Amino acid sequence: MTLLLDIVTTAAILFIVSAGLLAIFGVLEIVNFAHGAWLTVGAYCAVVAGGLGLNPWLALPMAFVTGAVLGGVTERLIVRPLYARPLDAILATWGLGIVIGQLITLWFGRDVHFTENLLSGTIHVLGTSYSLYRIFALAAAVVIGLGFAFLLEGTRLGLSARAIIMNESLARALGLDTTRIRLVTFMIGTGLTALAGVLLTPLTSVDPTMGVAWLIGSFMLVMVAGSSFGALAVACLVFGGAQVLVSTFISPILGGITVAVLSALVLRISSKGFARV
Amino acid sequence: MKIPSLLATVTSVMLAGGAFASDDPIRIGVPVGLSGANSVVAPSVVQSAELAVEQINAAGGVLGRPMELVIADDASGAAGAQKAFDSLVFQKEVDVLISMETSAARNAGLPIVSRGQVPYIYTSFYEGRSCNPYLFVNAWVPEQQVPPIVDYLNAEGAKKYFLIGSDYSFGRGMLEFARSYVESTGGEIVGEEYLPMDGSDWTAIISKLKASGAEALITSTAGGAPNVTLTKQMRGAGVDLPYANLAVDEGTAKNMGADAAGILISASYVTGIDSAENKAFLDAMKAKFGDDLRTPNDLSVPQYEAVYLYKAAIEKAGCTDARAVLDALDEVSFTGPRGTIQMSKQHHAPLTMYLGQVQDDGSVKVVGTFKDVDPGEQCPKL
Repeated sequence: MTLLLDIVTTAAILFIVSAGLLAIFGVLEIVNFAHGAWLTVGAYCAVVAGGLGLNPWLALPMAFVTGAVLGGVTERLIVRPLYARPLDAILATWGLGIVIGQLITLWFGRDVHFTENLLSGTIHVLGTSYSLYRIFALAAAVVIGLGFAFLLEGTRLGLSARAIIMNESLARALGLDTTRIRLVTFMIGTGLTALAGVLLTPLTSVDPTMGVAWLIGSFMLVMVAGSSFGALAVACLVFGGAQVLVSTFISPILGGITVAVLSALVLRISSKGFARV
Repeated sequence: MKIPSLLATVTSVMLAGGAFASDDPIRIGVPVGLSGANSVVAPSVVQSAELAVEQINAAGGVLGRPMELVIADDASGAAGAQKAFDSLVFQKEVDVLISMETSAARNAGLPIVSRGQVPYIYTSFYEGRSCNPYLFVNAWVPEQQVPPIVDYLNAEGAKKYFLIGSDYSFGRGMLEFARSYVESTGGEIVGEEYLPMDGSDWTAIISKLKASGAEALITSTAGGAPNVTLTKQMRGAGVDLPYANLAVDEGTAKNMGADAAGILISASYVTGIDSAENKAFLDAMKAKFGDDLRTPNDLSVPQYEAVYLYKAAIEKAGCTDARAVLDALDEVSFTGPRGTIQMSKQHHAPLTMYLGQVQDDGSVKVVGTFKDVDPGEQCPKL
C-alpha cells in the first residue's frame, strides 16, 4: 500500500515541478533551461516570507507573482528575440539560470536555508500512516492539472494558445495578438514554476543550486510529453512509478537515473513520446 | 568578512610592536575550499587560523619570528587542490601546510607534499587510514566518532539498526565502520541504503526504513543539502526512531528547527564545552570578528589547535627544518578548546568525544562525554 502511495505521490511531485516547463514548451516551443532557477526563486520566496514572519502559505501567491513578473521581464528582454532560434534560446536560458543562481548566492549566501513546513505530521490512508504533505502534494498536482485543462479548454486565452500551437501564422493572420499571448503564457509558466518551488520546500533544502537536481528530470518528462498535460500526467505516473519500483527493489542509486534512461528509450522508439495519449 | 577569492592571498599579519629578532616570517600554507562544497565552512576555518596566528604573534611569535598565513583556494576538489598545493609548496615556499579540506583535495595534494617535503597537518575529520610520513591529523576518524553513538543507542535498548548514506567515500566509509561496530556489539543491521550525492528523492528508502522494523537509525550523508532533505522527508513521513546523524554539525542542527529535535550528534567539539580554554577561545573569537564571526565548529577548532601544535613542534625542534619538526610533531601537545591534543597515535590523535542531542529549541545538550577515545590502528607502518 505504501508502495502505491509512494508511486502516485512521486508522480504528483514530478508533475508539479514539470508543469511550468511544459506550459512554456507546449505553446512557445522554447525549452526554458532557466527552469531550475525559477524553482529556486520560488523556494527563496518561502525563505523571505518566513523572514518577514508571514504565514508560510502566503509564500504560494507571493512566489507566483514574483515568478510571473520576473518571467515577464525575461520574456520581453531575452526570450522574445529568440523564438525563431530555439537552440539559441536554450543557450540564453541556460545562461540566465546561471546568472539567477549567482545573484541568489550573492544576496542570500551559499548556505542552506530553512523554511517553516506547510503541513507536518502523518495521516492514516488505506491502512498505513503516510506523510500528510505528500498527500497534499497529490491534491495540489490534481488542482494544477485541472486548472490547466480549464485554462486551455474553457477560456479565450486557452483557445488562442491552442490556435498558436496548431498554426501560428494562421492565428496571427486571423487577428490574434500572438505577442501578448506568448508573454502571458511565459509568465504563467514561470509563475507556476516558482509556485512549485515553494511546494518543494517541505521536501528539500533551500540552497542556490537546489533547482538543478530537478531540471533534467522535468526536461526529460516534458520532451516525452510534448505539449499535452494529459501526456505529462501519464509520463509522470509511468516514469515516477518506475523510479520508485527500481529504488525499492533494485537500488536507489539506479532509481535516480530511471527517468532519464526511460525517457531516452521512449524517444528512441517513438519520437513523439507520449504526446499521442 | 570578505572571502579572498584569488588563488593565493597573502593575509596580512598583525605585528605586535614589531619586536621580532628576524623579519623573516614562518609561513603557514592554508589550502582550503573557499569555493565549492566546503565554501560554507571554510570562512570559519580561516577565521580560527587568523586568531591563532594573531595571538602567537602578539605573544612574541615563535623563536622570535612572526607567523604568517598564506591562504589558497582549493575549490574543494582534486584539480583545485593540485594547483593550490603546487603554488603554496613550490612558489610561496611555505614552511608547513595546515588545513581542513575534502578527502579528494587531501589525496590530490599528498603527492605534492611528499615531493616538496613539507609537514602537513590535516584538520578535518575524515574516513581514516590516510598515511604519509609528512601527514599528521588532529581530527577524528570513524573509530572515534561512531562507538559513542552506538554504545549510547545500545544502552537505550536498540538492537536493529538501519543505515542511510550518500554514495561517496566518506558516507560509505563511515557506515561500513558503523556496520562492523554494530555487529561486533551484538546488534543487527536490517538495512543499508545509499543515494547519489545530488539525489533529493528519499521516498523509497524511507518506505523501506519504515517497513524494516529498525529500532535506531544512523545516517551519514554529505553535509548541507542532502542531510536537510533526508531529515525533512523522514520527519514528514513520521519517522521518530532514535536518530544519529554522523554528518550534521551544531549550527545546521540549530537552523533546522523542529525537524532536528532528538537527533544525536557525535563530535570532538561543541560550543558548550565547559572549560576555561574554550571560554577564552570563544571570547577571543567574538572580540576579533564581532558581527562577522562564523560560529566555531568541529572543523574550525582543530585548525586553531593545529597552528599551536605546529608552534610547539618548532619550539621543541629549535628550528623550522621539516625533518626536525616532523620528529617533534607527535611528541608535543596543546591544551585548547577541545582539551589536550597530542598526535601521538600513528600520526593521529586520541580525542575526547562529545555525544550531543538536539533539543526542541535547537540547542545541543551534551548527553555523554567519552574521554580520550583512541583512533585505533590508522597507520601501523608509520
